[in-house]
Amino acid sequence: MDSNPSAKALPVPLKIVIAGGFGVGKTTAVGSISEIKPLTTEAAITTAAEGIDGMEEIPAKTATTVALDFGCITIDETLKLYLFGTPGQDRFGFMWRDLSHGALGAMVIVDARRIDDCYPAVDYFEKLDLPFVVAVNMFDGRLAHTIDDLRWALAISDQTPLIMFDARERVSVRDALISLLQHALKRAASLPTP
Amino acid sequence: MRPYLDADFPDEESHVDVSPLRPYVLTDGRTEPVDRTLEIEAQVMTTGPGTDALPGLAFEHRDIVGLCAVPMSVAEVAARLKLHIGVARVLVADLAEKGYVRVRRPSLPLAHDIDLIERVIRGLESIR
Repeated sequence: MDSNPSAKALPVPLKIVIAGGFGVGKTTAVGSISEIKPLTTEAAITTAAEGIDGMEEIPAKTATTVALDFGCITIDETLKLYLFGTPGQDRFGFMWRDLSHGALGAMVIVDARRIDDCYPAVDYFEKLDLPFVVAVNMFDGRLAHTIDDLRWALAISDQTPLIMFDARERVSVRDALISLLQHALKRAASLPTP
Repeated sequence: MRPYLDADFPDEESHVDVSPLRPYVLTDGRTEPVDRTLEIEAQVMTTGPGTDALPGLAFEHRDIVGLCAVPMSVAEVAARLKLHIGVARVLVADLAEKGYVRVRRPSLPLAHDIDLIERVIRGLESIR
């Protein structure tokens, strides 16, 4: 019936969400490891956003858009991994849900100089019970706080990996993603068999 | 420290039931997506019948059928054709319904899939 034999070869798509405040290095991180130049598309926030915290002041029917940057990595001939970078703001929460559905996990990127920016993302993935790592982007190769201070400030569980990385370095981004997946693997191994 | 951790979270149900994107343009006036659950990472590829039908298709459908001769995700379709994600999702669902494209959706749930996660780790480890 299908006259296109190569159509059988469609890879299984997977995704990881890259979250964090504006300007923390999400698109840089995606670009460092993606095999395509990161693409940008827009998702609409329409009346669907009604009732979401922080949106009350915006009249119903107002439509705004939010940019979504993404890239991809071919894992092997049958698996393709997408990385979706999304602004970490409360008001975009509904888009996170769309993005998080079926995700392997999330990487929350933090700028140690303004860690508050990542709280909405940390809150969100905790509530969703999606495996996540917090990755502190080392903008200038040094850190204003110790890891322990950061863990305390973020109030994340001891199981949640907190790592340093450099969004500009492919291998560093790779290792951050591997930390996330090893965390997801531990979780998977501890879950009861479905 | 996140200052509100002791506070009660708002009722999560109010989030869960919020409808996904509702694009109204370019969709023949339809007010609901054909398949509103189509994931943005779902893979899309043009079929033989899609290629055959190409000359007769309306412009947005034609663009997608032309583009997806090379398989790509719904998100890539949106980005390359400068469409909102929600619109691309509806158009792809339309075309899939007509058999003009094939769609490969993610295999869910992933949370238990140890083999799959290990494969992804191995794949990433091979990146230099």
